[in-house]
Amino acid sequence: MTTRSSRSRAACLLAIASVALASCGGGGGGGDNATSARADGARDRHAEGATRAATISLADANRLAQQATFGPNEAMVADIQARGAAAWLKAQMELKTSRYTSGGDDSIDRHRDTKGAFCDTPPHDQEPDCWVRYRTPEPLREDFFRNATTQDDQVHQRAALALQHIFVISSVTILRTYGLRNYFNGLMDNALGNYRDVLRTVAMSPVMGDYLNNVNNDKAAPNENFAREQLQLFSLGPCKLEMDGTLTGGSCQPVYDNDMVREYAYAMTGWTFPPGGGDYRTCRLPGSNCQFYTGDMVVVPSFHDTNARTLLSGVTVPAGSTAPQALELVLDSIMAHPNIGPFVAYRMIQHFVTSNPSKEYVTRVATAFDKGRYSSDGVPFGNGTKGNLRAVIAAVLLDPEARSSAYASSTKGFLRDPIMFFTGTLRGLNGKSDGRNMGDWGEILHEDIFSPPSVFDFYLPSYPVAGTDLVGPQFGIHNANSALDRLNFLNFLLFDGGAKAIKKDPNSLGTQIDDTAFLSSADDPDALVDRLSLVAFGHVLPTVSRQPVIDAVGYWNEANAKNEWRHKRVFTAAYLVYGSPNYEVQR
Amino acid sequence: MTNKHHDHPGLDDASRRAWLRRCGVLMASGMGLGALAPLAGAKDAGYKALVCIELAGGNDGLNTITPMDESRYAQYANVRGPLALPKDALLPLNSDYGLHPSLSALVTYWQQQKLATLFNVGPLHEPLTQQEYLSLPAGSPQVPGNLFSHSDQLVLWESSTSDPMARSGWGGRASEILGTANPVISLGGNSTFGVESLRTPLVLPFAGALFGATGLMAKDMDKRANALRRAAMDALHAQPQGLALADAYTAIHRDAFVVAERLGALVASVPGDALSSPAIDDAFSPLFDKSGLPGTPTAAQLYQIAKMINGRQIVLGNRQIFYARQGGYDTHSNQVDDEDVTQGTHAGLLRELGDALAAFQRAMENLGMSDEVTAFTQADFGRTFASNTSRGTDHAWGNCHFILGGAVHGGASYGTYPQLVLGGQDDCSDDASTSQGRWIPTTPVDKYAQALLHWFGLSGDQIAAVLPNLANFPAGRLKFI
Repeated sequence: MTTRSSRSRAACLLAIASVALASCGGGGGGGDNATSARADGARDRHAEGATRAATISLADANRLAQQATFGPNEAMVADIQARGAAAWLKAQMELKTSRYTSGGDDSIDRHRDTKGAFCDTPPHDQEPDCWVRYRTPEPLREDFFRNATTQDDQVHQRAALALQHIFVISSVTILRTYGLRNYFNGLMDNALGNYRDVLRTVAMSPVMGDYLNNVNNDKAAPNENFAREQLQLFSLGPCKLEMDGTLTGGSCQPVYDNDMVREYAYAMTGWTFPPGGGDYRTCRLPGSNCQFYTGDMVVVPSFHDTNARTLLSGVTVPAGSTAPQALELVLDSIMAHPNIGPFVAYRMIQHFVTSNPSKEYVTRVATAFDKGRYSSDGVPFGNGTKGNLRAVIAAVLLDPEARSSAYASSTKGFLRDPIMFFTGTLRGLNGKSDGRNMGDWGEILHEDIFSPPSVFDFYLPSYPVAGTDLVGPQFGIHNANSALDRLNFLNFLLFDGGAKAIKKDPNSLGTQIDDTAFLSSADDPDALVDRLSLVAFGHVLPTVSRQPVIDAVGYWNEANAKNEWRHKRVFTAAYLVYGSPNYEVQR
Repeated sequence: MTNKHHDHPGLDDASRRAWLRRCGVLMASGMGLGALAPLAGAKDAGYKALVCIELAGGNDGLNTITPMDESRYAQYANVRGPLALPKDALLPLNSDYGLHPSLSALVTYWQQQKLATLFNVGPLHEPLTQQEYLSLPAGSPQVPGNLFSHSDQLVLWESSTSDPMARSGWGGRASEILGTANPVISLGGNSTFGVESLRTPLVLPFAGALFGATGLMAKDMDKRANALRRAAMDALHAQPQGLALADAYTAIHRDAFVVAERLGALVASVPGDALSSPAIDDAFSPLFDKSGLPGTPTAAQLYQIAKMINGRQIVLGNRQIFYARQGGYDTHSNQVDDEDVTQGTHAGLLRELGDALAAFQRAMENLGMSDEVTAFTQADFGRTFASNTSRGTDHAWGNCHFILGGAVHGGASYGTYPQLVLGGQDDCSDDASTSQGRWIPTTPVDKYAQALLHWFGLSGDQIAAVLPNLANFPAGRLKFI
């Protein structure tokens, strides 16, 4: 039950949180107010930003955090408001601290198996988790959730994740932790670099070479797997595109036919694993190296086709070229193709902002890809080289279609995928995770992060949403069952207490929220629900659904929950807010 | 593409089930069992089920059903080279064809005339000769779009169209036109096959899993805190969102609560528990793992489907389409073992498929439902006739498939087996020196679907509405069922 004073307190909280309002002594637009003060050290940055940055509302700052990071929390949103969107993004792009570091090393593949499997051989037979550390993605999953929930380089990590959804490999068939680690660090290292470098890193990776069968691919009759998916999934797509992402000519005009795929397959022959592997069963083919995932693939001239090959974009591989020369020409042909800008633009927009961008939005981002530059609010991004990913990501995140709440279209937004749902809920509630339970939850919700079912990832860009004319990739793994399982994750995290940290283990964080900051609002259910709504999605719930949420929260009191009642109120509010469609579908 | 296995190092099946139990799964014990006991005895007049099993990645049909007559076997072995199955390893269906040895569980159904094969079937817009294919301009609407691409070909098969941008599947459209109680029930994901204009496929988890929201189910409503939370959740999802994707999301959610109440106990039932069916459990028991659950993903999917068929009074409806998916068939390399061609990746996949299909058919017979249930396979595409130097095969087009059930006119083959000649009349290339052998289908997916839907009970007009390209082909229905 709310009193008049608590109602005005709630209104005050709203006003303080929103820079534009000037009541309750909270200060006017862009001014020094409680919001800035809440963000440690933000005041100084705010002072210099205020002269340049456009005023950014709490709703828009929250939206930017949803789009650009693993989830907003109160401190981050205040920081974005203080700096302005462009300056904040620029500063974020300078932070690149996260890497994958956990799990066993490459000794599992140096092992010569003379006395049995690696984990059965001393000293590894004494390690109870040898299998997990050397053969599974579990250590990397732990790094991922730890970094996503606690590390500051949020945009860098999101950029790497965007690439991970394009340049897909899977732990389902790559059974080496160190190999997966090397591969995903390769994406992490290039995530804010240049798309051409990503293409090269992936093409030279022995992990990708194994996954899509280009390692030891031989000129006599090469398989077509990597060649096809490099064109179809990693760079151009099968149909010719305009800069705005629409099909050239209005229907699918093929970019390549199967003969062209074969030209690429021949051009990409000639590579084997780097040296260092010790399992002779994996290098029976004369000239090949044994399975090994440290370093790049190396050349085997006898495997490499030396005929002239005609590629796309008017590029030819001259007769007698070496494998590295052919690779650079392959990359030239891809980077020169008109499809590359809109292909990358569309996928980046779908990952960060919306499943159904306007043609104009795609054009703007594709242009940033081609020019390698983007500028907003006087803040420059990119170095002018085609394919610069800072320019692309800035174009995606700072575009009016992403930023302006005035862009009101019923077709915007996207369904938050399970990984972002997990991290967003944790971060909003000041929580953290060491990822040790997240494999099971990922599997339940059909998105166990390093284990997509195929190179086509968990879902396709084009998945049709029944009842609409739109696409919604994340709907490709969403159904009645998973709808309820999202609530079961919230139940686990909130009412079951998540997973506790193991006290003896300094690396253990558990999977836990921290409700401390929100307890102070728990006495007033209206205020608590509004506060959590603002954290989660930047505005309060619509009136009709807001009241039942308040009623469910306000049920808890000292009589029915003893001294747990404030916690119960926070859990209930968090469950309903983070389980609401207002959160689940990012707008 | 690769297969997703459900092994989880560090969390074996027993621990996983213990964990699921802790999370409030396995609620069967809390329900009124009498009301939900499976039917015994009388069949429901008019019930029929279609079960689609998709072999994702593109099954190599040539090593699945292989010619055994002397001249064609020689053609096959000559081109297949190191991938050719030895003739004496094949399981003869008749003097003309043999099955891959891993499909031993299916031979008896051929002999009982419940298993049929359909040759060289695939997506077409209209009948297409080799010369037409080679002379039509790239992107011509007369040729299906984006051939040889997994994702696009799956859409073509699942939608029975020539348009890779199709937004619905023929399973979905058939369900919609009949007004079935449920959309396609899927154990294998949200594939386009089951998508309709308004409904999404009903994707169910494996036996033993929770299908419901802890704390918000009917049995939880006696606690006021839960009732208030459920009321709030309902209010949140009743609210118009003003955003198409959000409204689609809330529609799925509202439906989820209703369906979960109806199906939760049946979904959660595991072999041997109070809700289980001995008829089904006996049929699948050879495939159980040490935790007492079906031990392969394909068996697990077909087990659940069998339960839903047996539980049709709970599932509702007298027409139901089901969908299952087995992944891993994209055998570009290491399709066969280098020491024994009858072993290896493909052999393992076919073993899983054949054993699961046989268990499913046994279950249907045990239930007395064999005449009412028809299973059929499909795949993205077949694979190249010639192998590559990675000991595998690449993406092709026309393929062969199975149909299984009591209503099938089995022990016979339908369609036309392709001519096993590189650059020959069935090849989409006329250049023997460069071709890998990819067959232009001589039977379209539309004809495959037409026969199944006719049996399923759709009228001619309904079939024409569901299969828009059917009119492009000569009249006449395949007679495998």
